[in-house]
Amino acid sequence: MPLNIIVCIKWVPNTQIVNIDPNTGTLIREGVPSIINPHDLNAVEMALRLKEKYGGVVTAVSMAPMSAKTGLEFVIGMGVDRAILVSDRVFAGADTLATSYTLSKVIEKLRPFDILIFGQETIDSSTAHIGAQTASWLRVPYLYYVVDVEYINGVVRATRRLEKKIEVYELPTPCLLAVAMKSNEPRPVKLSHKLRAKMENVIEVWTNNEVGLKRECIGLRGSPTVVEKCIVTPSVPRKKQRFDGQDVREAVKWLVDRLIEDEGLKII
Amino acid sequence: MSYLSNTKFDVIIVGAGPAGSTAAYTLAKNGLRVVVLERGRTAGSKTLYGGRVYSKPLEEVYENFRKEAPIERWVKKERFSFMSNGELLTLEYSSTDSTSFTAYLSRLASWMAQKAEEAGAVIVTDIRVDDLYLEDGVVKGVRCGDEVLRSNVVVDAEGVNRLILERFGMVPKLEKRQVALGLKQVIRLDASKIEGRLGLAAGEGLAWLIVGEATGYLPGGSFLYTNSSTISLGLVVFLEEAYQNINQHVFNILEDLKQKQSIKEVIADGVVIEYGAHLTPEMGLGMSPKKMYGDGLLIVGDAAGLLLNLGYTIRGVDFAAYSGYLAAKTILKAHSMGSYNSESLSFYQKLLEESFIMKEMKKHKKITKLMRSNEMFTIYPGILLDTVKKLFEIEYSSPTILQALRNSIKGKTSLLKLLWNIFRTFF
Repeated sequence: MPLNIIVCIKWVPNTQIVNIDPNTGTLIREGVPSIINPHDLNAVEMALRLKEKYGGVVTAVSMAPMSAKTGLEFVIGMGVDRAILVSDRVFAGADTLATSYTLSKVIEKLRPFDILIFGQETIDSSTAHIGAQTASWLRVPYLYYVVDVEYINGVVRATRRLEKKIEVYELPTPCLLAVAMKSNEPRPVKLSHKLRAKMENVIEVWTNNEVGLKRECIGLRGSPTVVEKCIVTPSVPRKKQRFDGQDVREAVKWLVDRLIEDEGLKII
Repeated sequence: MSYLSNTKFDVIIVGAGPAGSTAAYTLAKNGLRVVVLERGRTAGSKTLYGGRVYSKPLEEVYENFRKEAPIERWVKKERFSFMSNGELLTLEYSSTDSTSFTAYLSRLASWMAQKAEEAGAVIVTDIRVDDLYLEDGVVKGVRCGDEVLRSNVVVDAEGVNRLILERFGMVPKLEKRQVALGLKQVIRLDASKIEGRLGLAAGEGLAWLIVGEATGYLPGGSFLYTNSSTISLGLVVFLEEAYQNINQHVFNILEDLKQKQSIKEVIADGVVIEYGAHLTPEMGLGMSPKKMYGDGLLIVGDAAGLLLNLGYTIRGVDFAAYSGYLAAKTILKAHSMGSYNSESLSFYQKLLEESFIMKEMKKHKKITKLMRSNEMFTIYPGILLDTVKKLFEIEYSSPTILQALRNSIKGKTSLLKLLWNIFRTFF
């Protein structure tokens, strides 16, 4: 039986180029281009490898503004078969509870599914909540930090790497896997896939008309989380010292001396 | 694979920079099936330049250009400075009119791509073209990994690092003497501060080029352009000369420039929000392929070496875009004749020769030579500033101009050589 695999991806501001407002402590998102959460690309790659090995269909789901179409085109370029953009103003401002609730209701509509695959966490909030919460709403088992997965006789065998050990689990389908970050090398896009994404209007857009959720459960209204305060750690002014020699050994010695003499570094 | 074998475009354009997107826009507007393949994540994301574009050629190609394009500031003030020992000699020109504007090239190129898309072109990003695809020696498409996309003609707009053309054997491997290295920082600063510090009225722009100490006395130049609420500050050094003479990292030269009083006071309390580096063609026509066309192939923009550095200003984006426009005109003609062989595509070379692009490149051939003379950057800035210093810093007696000049030249070069260099450059 071919596998029905669903991958959830998040469209995030590129936090590498985001600045923090020193007064409010919030991200300045204006003018910052969004990208696919890089850890979600590991999830896409794992889904595509499963599909290649066992056959099946990979569907990508993202709850995001319409600009995320670009991101979904990218994963179709990688080889994803179907992409659903859950996009509606009423979903905006959601915390992890409202987000996982909305996603779970979208995924309900895609039953029967076998494996849900999420990234470990996102680069813009790093909660690592969404996978676990979505699995809980759907009442399916879940496993985090997965680095490898097989599908044998209707059973999902997933390997996860923890700090000091490797664990192997067997899970029934349907189940949810959160992929360990950097556990695989996401493939580049293929011209034929990307061209299909571009030329045939393949991305399905679902508004709340399609999903049909109560306003008090979604978006800002469905989000109990309140961020009370953000404290910005003060930046340490640079001393602007420069080593101008050529010799690497001298440079290292100079640097270590500076750290010991000026910064009180102790070598144990 | 099946999807590609069922898909055929009239034209494949490699690269969604100003040249590629302008070609795509012109072709799509005239009903041809066009696809642009771009390596970067978005159209324009791989482009980088100093900061200023000459407008007129673009206005000819794009309707409502002045109204719609993402223009930052119209340049109303030009500055050219020699810098030596922290001192500046500046020529400043304030204009009531303006023929150029500052812009973020990534945004401008992205706007052009959007125009092309609206006209019906297909823009596909994240795609690296590896090779041209040939049938019987004729270009019939491109190869991307193990896939082939077919078309009647390919427009190569891959930019200065023209790996596809090199692999195809159309141009030799890029040499250091053919290119310069540009690097720049974008510094965020309130519009009111930009205007106040540089003496600009609201919305007005400035273009400032500096030679001498500003590049660590390396051949090349530094630049400062004003955007709405950022400043683009950077430098361009000729790669060959820089490679031979440089004793530190180029980014240190830029950092040193930022510490110079004249620059420091302009960018004070600005925040660096972006930095980048890129190669730029610097050889005039010395880098251009002899033929800018082949069977099923046209070459545009930086890949064709179409950039002119006049020392006091640089033209690249308008040349690139306009060459894309001329390539499109050529293809439209070839399309109507039903032939894409090199004979019908040679019309492009003819259009280029007749256009301002080639006329400009040929007219200013000599200045390109002077730009390569080391004295211009190492000795002359010092001589000039020394002369001016002697003229203006009077204690009791003042020298005549000739005396001041002679004294400043002493031991560095001969007056005759200096005058000859100036003469042969400008006449």
